[in-house]
Amino acid sequence: MESMEEETPRIGVFVCHCGINIGGVVNVPEVVEYAKKLPCVVYAEENLYTCSSEGISKIKEGIAKYNLNRVIVASCTPRTHEPLFRGACEEAGVNKYLFEMANIRDQCSWAHMHEPEGATEKAKDLVRMAVAKSRLLKPLEEPEIDVTPSALVIGGGISGMTAALCLSNQGFKVHIVEKEPELGGMLGHLYKLYPTMQDASESLNHVVNSVKSNKSIEVLTSTVVKQVKGFIGNFEVTVQKANDETANFEAGTIIVATGAPIFEPVGMYGYGEYDNVITQLRLEQLLKDGQLKKPESVVMIQCVGAREKEGRTYCSRICCMTAIKNALLIKDLHPDTDVYILFRELQTYGKHYEEHYRTAQDKGVKFVKYLQEKSPRVVSGKNGELTVNVYHALLNEELKIGSDLVVLSTPLIQHEDARELSQILKVPLGPDGFFFEVHVKLRPIDFATDGIYVCGTAHSPKDTPESVSQAFGVASRAAIPMALKRLRTEAITAVVHENLCSGCGTCVKLCPYGAIEKDEKGVARVTEVVCKGCGVCAATCPERAIEMRHFTSEQVMAQALAALGRTSA
Amino acid sequence: MREKSSVLVIGGGIAGIQASLDLADRGLEVYLVEKTPSIGGRMAQLDKTFPTMDCSICILAPKMIECFRHPNIKLLTYSEVEEVSGSAGNFTVKVLRNPRFVDESKCTGCGTCMQKCPIKVPNEFEMGLGMRRAIYLPFPQAVPRVATIDKDNCLYFQKGVCKICEKFCQANAVDFDKKPEELTINVSAIIIATGFNLFNPSIIGEYGYKQYKNVITSLELERLVNASGPTGGKLLRPSDGKEPNEIAFIQCVGSRSQRKKCFPYCSSVCCMYATKESIILKEHKPEVEVYIFYIELRVFGKGFQEFVTRAREEWDVEYIRGRPDEIIEDPKTRDLIVRYEDTLDRKVKELKVGLVVLCPALIPNDSNTKLEKILGAELDEHGFFKSKDPLFAPVDTNVPGIFICGYSQGPKDIPESVAQSSGAAARAAEVIALVASEEN
Amino acid sequence: MTFEPRIVGFLCNWCSYAGADLAGVSRISYPTNIRIIRLMCSGRVEPVIVLETLAQGADGVLVMGCHIGDCHYISGNLYAERKINVLKKLLARTSLEVGRLRLEWVSASEGGRFAELVKDFVEQIKALGPSPLAGDKPDKNILAGVLAAKAAAEDFRLRLLVGREKTMIDDGNVYGEKVSEEELDKILNEVIDTEFVRNRIYLLVKEKPLSVKELSERLDLDSKTVLRHVVVMRRRGLITVDRVEGTSPLYTALEVGR
Ligand SMILES: Cc1cc2nc3c(=O)[nH]c(=O)nc-3n(C[C@H](O)[C@H](O)[C@H](O)COP(=O)(O)OP(=O)(O)OC[C@H]3O[C@@H](n4cnc5c(N)ncnc54)[C@H](O)[C@@H]3O)c2cc1C
Ligand SMILES: Cc1cc2nc3c(=O)[nH]c(=O)nc-3n(C[C@H](O)[C@H](O)[C@H](O)COP(=O)(O)OP(=O)(O)OC[C@H]3O[C@@H](n4cnc5c(N)ncnc54)[C@H](O)[C@@H]3O)c2cc1C
Repeated sequence: MESMEEETPRIGVFVCHCGINIGGVVNVPEVVEYAKKLPCVVYAEENLYTCSSEGISKIKEGIAKYNLNRVIVASCTPRTHEPLFRGACEEAGVNKYLFEMANIRDQCSWAHMHEPEGATEKAKDLVRMAVAKSRLLKPLEEPEIDVTPSALVIGGGISGMTAALCLSNQGFKVHIVEKEPELGGMLGHLYKLYPTMQDASESLNHVVNSVKSNKSIEVLTSTVVKQVKGFIGNFEVTVQKANDETANFEAGTIIVATGAPIFEPVGMYGYGEYDNVITQLRLEQLLKDGQLKKPESVVMIQCVGAREKEGRTYCSRICCMTAIKNALLIKDLHPDTDVYILFRELQTYGKHYEEHYRTAQDKGVKFVKYLQEKSPRVVSGKNGELTVNVYHALLNEELKIGSDLVVLSTPLIQHEDARELSQILKVPLGPDGFFFEVHVKLRPIDFATDGIYVCGTAHSPKDTPESVSQAFGVASRAAIPMALKRLRTEAITAVVHENLCSGCGTCVKLCPYGAIEKDEKGVARVTEVVCKGCGVCAATCPERAIEMRHFTSEQVMAQALAALGRTSA
Repeated sequence: MREKSSVLVIGGGIAGIQASLDLADRGLEVYLVEKTPSIGGRMAQLDKTFPTMDCSICILAPKMIECFRHPNIKLLTYSEVEEVSGSAGNFTVKVLRNPRFVDESKCTGCGTCMQKCPIKVPNEFEMGLGMRRAIYLPFPQAVPRVATIDKDNCLYFQKGVCKICEKFCQANAVDFDKKPEELTINVSAIIIATGFNLFNPSIIGEYGYKQYKNVITSLELERLVNASGPTGGKLLRPSDGKEPNEIAFIQCVGSRSQRKKCFPYCSSVCCMYATKESIILKEHKPEVEVYIFYIELRVFGKGFQEFVTRAREEWDVEYIRGRPDEIIEDPKTRDLIVRYEDTLDRKVKELKVGLVVLCPALIPNDSNTKLEKILGAELDEHGFFKSKDPLFAPVDTNVPGIFICGYSQGPKDIPESVAQSSGAAARAAEVIALVASEEN
Repeated sequence: MTFEPRIVGFLCNWCSYAGADLAGVSRISYPTNIRIIRLMCSGRVEPVIVLETLAQGADGVLVMGCHIGDCHYISGNLYAERKINVLKKLLARTSLEVGRLRLEWVSASEGGRFAELVKDFVEQIKALGPSPLAGDKPDKNILAGVLAAKAAAEDFRLRLLVGREKTMIDDGNVYGEKVSEEELDKILNEVIDTEFVRNRIYLLVKEKPLSVKELSERLDLDSKTVLRHVVVMRRRGLITVDRVEGTSPLYTALEVGR
């Protein structure tokens, strides 16, 4: 390896005609002749299609025949073709990071079709720039790490348990850490579940039993995570039991499935003041225990503490369906009870929820649209009877609804101790307080930190089908590194020159992946397997002590100078 | 004993792509069958995506390329599943590979043929708003980058003359004699990800779609505002190529409706994409007035409510509660008069705009019925694939070993499709793990 | 001969480079003047390299990255924005036109926008004319300014400030006090002023020993300000008295690490 670095560069340049796509504009033979004269270039040729199987064998032959240790292909874009050519180099014994490309099609012949001379000049410059970089390229290795085939699942609700079962079925060991004495999470407090109206505890018990009887799942209840060290494949986890005992184990991956409690609307609509103003969650409990005394008139108020102008600005997604479900359940029990749902914007999205809304209307549940700026008011009479005053936005009139049970639909919110967990894991919370994924669109259940994932209501309010879908999702994401057992990571990473580092810590703060830490000596150290190679640290380091592999300052500068027709100083 | 266990994924939209990548990344072999010439699905057609407004193709194209390059993924584009037998752990699948008349192994995607081909036809990818040739790549980022000859429009196939493409192809990739091929594969599990179609808005006669030039669909709008779309990203209305100053979106066209041929459910993404498209329109031209006619604003997802608030307060998008009864065209100006009842003040009103954008119901793919027969996986009353247990087994079908994800399972946006597709991949991996443990 | 500017582009791999590819794929033509260097992220753009590129005679430097919010590495483009901001401030203190440097966001679907921007930038540079630093005989004075700017960009203090800007605004300082954009801009201007002048002084006295008076003439600054910097620089061991001529001490540069 070392000897290779010292070797003088012997560069081969392969210039592609791409049929007539390049050759029809750029004078390819001229570019080849030009390339031959550049420093360190020992061979150059033209190909009709360098990417064809013929072209690929030409590269390999060239490497063998001219003892090339660097290869340049001047053709199309590295974004699509670099892997192919790198593969060819590797097969012929040249480290794939000693390959470089000059984009003389997409960014030259195609863009300058009517300027053949200018295009040819530019093509030569691009080749010269590639040569300038190529001379300075270093062979790189993609570090490999072992992955412990076991996962830590934080939170033993339906999401955590689903993920755990799915992972164990795939052959991995799982530790579930649940802070409460029992598994089950929110479902343990619910009565029936929309959309199927299944019994919550019955379904839940089935899952809990599967988890408990599963030999590869270790359940730790009344336990929380105290410390996590390490990185993907090699997390060292410390947990703490209620009796302060601690335990350690290793995990290859971590799943955050801590769920979300509901907002307690103390002081709103008489909650905490009148006994018959309750939350949906309390109503579920009453229904479950069969303790709901027949009410004459139930008023449910939606968006209590949700979709606010400031603070909890988000919609909690599940409350409209929860209200409809519970309204239907009350109607089933007591058909002549009046049930009102005061809503702002009904969220009966998706393929079956609209039907529940219609059924509720058919069964006589009354839907009243209210406006945020004219929120309902709950007033209590002399004998404790309640009246809900609300402006009906569609009928354009003020209603006074007598009620002996007011049910408030409050949003799911983040746990109070979530911030602590987010700091232990070094993963972020979003502006709404929920765990924040790395990419909202395409990596919705991954964190920026490799090997840590999120699912269920810890991520944002959602119902059981959606939580379970995500739980299976993380069971796939987490299984990828564990199934591979060994991970190949980025070769293009940052390196710190220790003797230059002043330990100022700027890079530690700005790395979006938490890949840089200060070591015992107070010097920055890159955890290579976590680094993604963006290079922001290198460009920012106050001491210029960080270098980006494959995009070193020296290499980039050489390219820039070559672009200007100057040689490196 | 098979060397490697494989999974069949049907449909190459973002859902199918994600499921394939998850499986391939963990070392399983994937056959990804897509019926059109390129993978990418609907997401490839979108301009930006809500609520983050990232550019759709920018984030999708790298994943498409990854599918193409992945040693564990066999891309079978322009292909369809014809027959399936067997059961979980051991399905035998017949795939029909439609002839492209271009040799995939030789074509370099250089595009010369497409420049030389004399025939121009409306491009499906551009929703018919732009043109392509009879030999074509559906869009610049298409994967695989291999040309396809559209037989129905090719001069050689129709009239027996031309072959210009063949002449100009220096890679000798054109092959007019290519025949359909049948491929039989063995897989352990199957994932369905056939996505959605657009409801045909012509069914709602009073909106005048296809009758009035300036009534378009939301997906057409996505192409019209896209920088690489047929107008280079300028919103030019079809009737006169001018930029409209007032634009109205109409929600729930054919959805949330009990009307005949319509769909009762909510498509889940339209309120948000209309909001997104409104912001894009305002970004392009701040003085344009945008109105969104809605019945109930669906703002249930992460960051959605905040997104709508921003559209209202920072971009001045106007939301009007009401389902328009009819649209009338001014025959001279081709402007449109939207007649509606504002359900908040119960008044019948009229609004004159230069362009109407219909947000049609997003409906199950037609091919689902055929797949139901082939696979035995049941459809629900709407035509989406049915979950075995909507609560606890949302990605399972009634057939063990066959899973569903993305819009084909029911309305959902991109992040939900992605998460669920990973979920389907995990379930498929479970089947494989089970088979392996039984074989041992 | 008409002036054909030489423009160096630093483009991020994920959006802008892809956008440039798309311009080609769509056969949208633009002037041939740009030479593109692909980086993984616009956040990798090293200010020192940009200044060196300009010092070496590039007529223009065009930096392109993903639109805000689209960064493949979450926040790299935000750092790029901060750096270009500082670079512009530095350039503004030299006699080289600030307009020779430009930062733009281009997404992977904006082939047309990429071509437009290149066209526009080429026009902009043509209007400015050839760089005074191009060719064999660069303008010495202007070069001295750009080299001082480069030295400032290499300096620890300025880099530290730039590197911490974002955290200071987002999370506040060690005491959790958040700093406003305006306050930060003020601090930044002060630091840049100081660093730029000190580096000019350093480079001048490195060439030949000079007095405060001579320095103040060359820098077009009042001698009091110059003296203040000279005192600090002496204390830091950057310069020292070479000899005394008449009553004026002449200062010279000391060799410092790097
Ligand atoms: C009133 C109400 C009615 C509902 N009705 C329905 C319905 O009808 N149908 C439906 O589909 N959905 C319904 N839901 C939603 C459903 O409850 C959730 O989708 C589901 O519970 C989410 O599961 P989860 O595992 O993600 O979170 P949870 O159920 O909240 O479980 C999270 C678990 O993590 C534990 N935990 C939290 N923090 C830590 C920590 N730091 N360390 C260790 N453990 C931790 C918690 O103790 C809990 O056990 C309803 C919700 C409410 C509030
Ligand atoms: C106008 C509009 C704007 C939108 N904007 C957004 C947005 O901003 N953000 C967002 O999150 N979502 C948005 N969406 C929703 C988004 O498009 C979907 O969530 C997403 O495309 C679903 O992905 P999918 O892979 O399930 O389906 P699709 O994208 O439909 O992909 C399905 C694929 O399967 C193929 N296929 C179908 N049948 C077969 C078969 N029998 N055999 C083989 N292949 C088959 C199809 O050709 C297609 O390639 C928007 C939708 C529309 C209509």
